[in-house]
Amino acid sequence: MNVLLLYLLLLKATLTSFSGLTSLPMVRNDLVVRYRVLTDRELNTALVAGHTGPGPYGLYLVSVGYFVAGIPGAVAGWLALVTPAFLIIPMLRYLGRRAEQPGVRSSIQAVTLAAAGLIISSTVPLARDAITSLLAVAVALGSFLLLTATRLDTLWVIAGAAGVGLIASVLH
Amino acid sequence: MTPFLPLGRLALVFLRIGNLTLGGGNPTMAAMERELVEHRGWLSAEQYGLAYALARLTPGTNVLAFCAGAAWYLRGWRGALAAVLLVTVPCSVLTVWLTHAYETLKANPLATGAISGMLAAAVGMMAAAAWRLIRPHARGGQWARTLALPAGAAILSLGFAVPPIQALALAALAGFFWRGPGENR
Repeated sequence: MNVLLLYLLLLKATLTSFSGLTSLPMVRNDLVVRYRVLTDRELNTALVAGHTGPGPYGLYLVSVGYFVAGIPGAVAGWLALVTPAFLIIPMLRYLGRRAEQPGVRSSIQAVTLAAAGLIISSTVPLARDAITSLLAVAVALGSFLLLTATRLDTLWVIAGAAGVGLIASVLH
Repeated sequence: MTPFLPLGRLALVFLRIGNLTLGGGNPTMAAMERELVEHRGWLSAEQYGLAYALARLTPGTNVLAFCAGAAWYLRGWRGALAAVLLVTVPCSVLTVWLTHAYETLKANPLATGAISGMLAAAVGMMAAAAWRLIRPHARGGQWARTLALPAGAAILSLGFAVPPIQALALAALAGFFWRGPGENR
């Protein structure tokens, strides 16, 4: 895929999202479903790579870009990640407290809630690929519970899941 | 804007906090508050609050918008550019290396076991991310709205193959007219 097109598709995803993973449904729709340059398994691996190290969760876009077009793709993913950040400067200069208007605030809140629904819908095909045994069901459920009910860092949850998978493959 | 703050000092703070704080954007923004407002006094609490609020309204990754905004207060456009570069470039390089490592290791049976565990955890991680977006709004009086908007978007996407951008535009419109309690002030 052309790197400029990849950048524009990833930028579209970041410009229509309001936090790290809310861009995921758009990324999946464009790269997995429409253009077929990424598989669900690669997208899932990108999520893991983006969450294993420090930095914002949106870093998975760098990994997605790398899967699609190697290092130039990773640069396209990085550019798509950082470009929207600079929109805050004109907002700070000119918008200021107008952003607190009820209609604007309520619309942003609704978009965030809808994005949560879209994340759930994107989870379904990824789960079909990753959840292939009872152990995988337990790992997914355990991860969900640990990440919602405790303050444990994502890195430790991923490391624990890797340990469980490793032990299972040794015992198998 | 704070005058005479050397770009190098600002850059070091963003480099350190942005690349050593685990757990995503919220812990990073909390660490920035401690560093920029409490410890160094470079930003006022009001400036931090406004940058934080507007970062949540800026498309894309909130923490990067916050870094751009906070550093713009301190050193204008140069500061914003330096902060965003230093917060993202080192961890992006690490992400590429991790992606490459995961792909290289997938031929190894033991590594495949570990990666399968991580991929299953990623499913739980995504569900948790969705829940974390919903949870702050799941309060008394706005349950119907809090459930209807995500459910509606999921049904449109899964059941009717509506593209995400259209589902989000519909949600923005719905949110403008259907406000939660306390949103009319």
